Amino acid sequence: MRKTVLLLGGLAASLMATSALAQDINIKMGVLNDRSGIYADLAGEGSVIAAQMAVEDFDAAGKGINVEILSADHQNKPDVASNIARQWVDDEGVNVILDVPTSSTALAVNEVTRNANALMLNSTGGTSELTGSACSPHTAHWTYDTWALAHGTGSAMVEQGFDKWFFLTADYAFGHALEQDTAAVVEAAGGEVVGTVRHPFPGQDFSSFLLQAQSSGAQVIGLANAGGDTVNAIKQAAEFGIVQQGQSLAGLLIFLTDVHALGLEAAQGLVLTEAFYWDLNDETREWSARFEELDGDKPTMVQAGVYSAVLHYLKAVEATGSTDADEVIAKMKEMPTEDPIFGEGYLREDGRKIHDMYLFRVKSPEESEGPWDYYEVLATIPAERAFRPLEEGNCPLVE
Amino acid sequence: MFELLGIPPQALFGQLLLGLINGSFYAILSLGLAVIFGLLNIINFTHGAQYMLGAFVAWFLLQYLGIGYWWALIIAPIAVGITGVILERLMISKLYHLDHLYGLLLTFGIALVIQGLLRNEFGISGLPYSIPPQLAGGQNLGFMFLPNYRGWVVVASLVVCLATWFVIEKTRLGAYLRAATENPTLVGAFGINVPRLVTLTYGFGVALAAFAGVLAAPIYSVNPNMGAELIIVVFAVVVIGGMGSILGAIITGFGLGIIEGLTRVFYPEGSSVVIFVIMAIVLLIKPAGLFGRAA
Amino acid sequence: MADALAQQRPAAAAASPLLKVADLEGWYGESHVLHGINFDVREGEVVTLLGRNGAGKTTTLKAIMGILAKRRGSITFDGKELIKLPARAIARLGVGYVPEERGIFASLSVDENLMLPPQVKPGGLSVDEIFQLFPNLRERRTSQGTKLSGGEQQMLSIGRILRTGAKMILLDEPTEGLAPVIVQQIGETLAKLKREGFTIVLVEQNFRFAASVADRHYVVEQGKVVDMILNEDLDASTEKLHAYLGV
Repeated sequence: MRKTVLLLGGLAASLMATSALAQDINIKMGVLNDRSGIYADLAGEGSVIAAQMAVEDFDAAGKGINVEILSADHQNKPDVASNIARQWVDDEGVNVILDVPTSSTALAVNEVTRNANALMLNSTGGTSELTGSACSPHTAHWTYDTWALAHGTGSAMVEQGFDKWFFLTADYAFGHALEQDTAAVVEAAGGEVVGTVRHPFPGQDFSSFLLQAQSSGAQVIGLANAGGDTVNAIKQAAEFGIVQQGQSLAGLLIFLTDVHALGLEAAQGLVLTEAFYWDLNDETREWSARFEELDGDKPTMVQAGVYSAVLHYLKAVEATGSTDADEVIAKMKEMPTEDPIFGEGYLREDGRKIHDMYLFRVKSPEESEGPWDYYEVLATIPAERAFRPLEEGNCPLVE
Repeated sequence: MFELLGIPPQALFGQLLLGLINGSFYAILSLGLAVIFGLLNIINFTHGAQYMLGAFVAWFLLQYLGIGYWWALIIAPIAVGITGVILERLMISKLYHLDHLYGLLLTFGIALVIQGLLRNEFGISGLPYSIPPQLAGGQNLGFMFLPNYRGWVVVASLVVCLATWFVIEKTRLGAYLRAATENPTLVGAFGINVPRLVTLTYGFGVALAAFAGVLAAPIYSVNPNMGAELIIVVFAVVVIGGMGSILGAIITGFGLGIIEGLTRVFYPEGSSVVIFVIMAIVLLIKPAGLFGRAA
Repeated sequence: MADALAQQRPAAAAASPLLKVADLEGWYGESHVLHGINFDVREGEVVTLLGRNGAGKTTTLKAIMGILAKRRGSITFDGKELIKLPARAIARLGVGYVPEERGIFASLSVDENLMLPPQVKPGGLSVDEIFQLFPNLRERRTSQGTKLSGGEQQMLSIGRILRTGAKMILLDEPTEGLAPVIVQQIGETLAKLKREGFTIVLVEQNFRFAASVADRHYVVEQGKVVDMILNEDLDASTEKLHAYLGV
């Protein structure tokens, strides 16, 4: 019943599109991310640029939609993030909060927008909780999540014939979870886990663990850790010639900017999953070139994800002629998505944005033909298998 | 392939060599602590932070001035050593007439402040610092692939440790230092400026820590907590070797690194506690430490 | 060696004393130990401070040397006021100190002990000259300082000060605990040093030894100098002295 009403409403809205144009719609968007810390390169100002590009490409002004973009640094601290979000939503009338890196801050903002007339379109936050038990009617999780990374890398690598795994795991809850999830995928795909070593968190010296991994006979060393631990482990693996001697490293939570910071010399041979890469096709290359002109660097998948999310949001605003959070998100879930970033896709009812993911291998310095030529596509993980099945997420929105 | 106690020799030698590399850091750091404790009677808890500062200065030099690893290896210890001199003059020297405990608390507090400030500024994920191109690559030793840089770390720290030992045990300056350690009052009554000797000694001990920090920068990422994690182990090393014993600090540093490596082979779960177990045993049997003179 | 020592011979007995201690008070922490010490020493003289245990003799030397942290009054040496100076500056003026416990460093070899005090004035003895004075030391140059016998340690403690060029030596109980034959050797050494023009302030319990080397004796009692006896009057003052020293 309700669905019908919404459909009718949407129909009515699009029929009245011309009249909606007559009165301008004002939208405030807030890019809330890390602008000074470890994720400033991954997201940071680049996410603001991506949002602006979407507004311009959509020609919002020409369509009578006035968009103002705010930005703030949440310092990766959940309390700072929820304070800013609350102020934006309550005092400044912000309609949509964008980006929001790190799992803990994403979950904090998720609770702010849940009962407010505002949406969170999360691109950089990792936790798949956002569309699982913590899912919210006002949240869309746009680019990737930890489930997609671990499963993408795990199953796709086994399919490629890399079926003997050794896990280097950070010895705390996050690391254990990442290891168990991935190990389950590896085994389900017919692979085998030949060994596991838990390193102290945070770790400094991984050399002895890497030596164990080296002598284990595994084909793949899965890095079930994050941030500095992953970067260090990759650096030290390069030092000890692990990849040169035939083993592969699989990063379970690592991004283009990490590869950029590590350099190809250290990162070569690393296998990882991402949702976007600038050099995938003509459309991504064209869009990324425009982004690079503004930002100076190539876009990351999460910056591209912000663009994709804003574009789809504006389409829904145009279609509904409304800024009401419930109306707009309903429209967003109803309309298929399409953009130069992820191609065709859709927003699932639990808030999960569904599109293809890619398994990449980092090129060697010799293979790389220029700046930012980092990845070679090993496999495309089709949209229907890239993300956690709806019924496994335990999202209360899904009946 | 033959095996030793069920362990393939590759794994054994590999881990032994890694232990030696870790031991290099233990040795330089515990040497600095021992030198400082010997003369100042201060347990320098700032040592870990000063080690970290050495790595940070190397990073700053590269990032903002374009000064590379080899110069950093000289400049960073001097720069951090000077901050040590200032710290000693302004603060630590005010506590010499009090119990050890006050010096410990002061230096511990300073370490927390330095780490906190840098953590605020740079976060904890670490800043990258590359291995100098001259030391890139490695040697295949048959039983393991030894990165050139790690080999350099062992050589450099051995040289620095032995040079320090030589200066302290075999030179006039070292004689002043040893004499002042035993009886500063009398050495002062001979016309030697003991307070200045103390200040410079602290500066030198700090510079040793910073040197280790620069050595560590290309191996570990440069981050504000890198010293806090290491220094606890190093304190255990100093206790085992004997507070204030120069040769003891060096031998125990390398030795415990190797023992830790062996533990990784035979009982990996124990590798993070083996040094502390040894410390407890040594304290029970020979409280002055293996190389310490009984008080 | 004779030539070198000869250079130190004073031209004549100076008109004003080399060392003048006036109203010297001193404290160990809160306890008031010196209550007004007055005495003076002329250049080239050997003067002893006599007194019972705890009278303040050693403390007086420490106060002159600047080792006693809390002191008041006046100490002039060679025309300079020492009361505000730190020990190292006093040493640099040419005051040598041979402490009661001899102060031989266990972590230093005999050689290192000998070379430890820096030269503060020109004209100190060379190492060779010191070995001529104390031949035993030469054979033990590489031994650990504290492996020497008590007598050898005492010689080392005196010898290293002779190297520095100090013209006044504060000597604290050099004969304590030593065998008579060693005491005799040290006595001969002091006599020799006196002939060569060194000024010596000697703290001594061994009254007989003191009499054999000194020009004058100051008697210290409860932190004060209570009497002065010329060495030539010593025989006449035996009774008085026994009363002071309680022997």
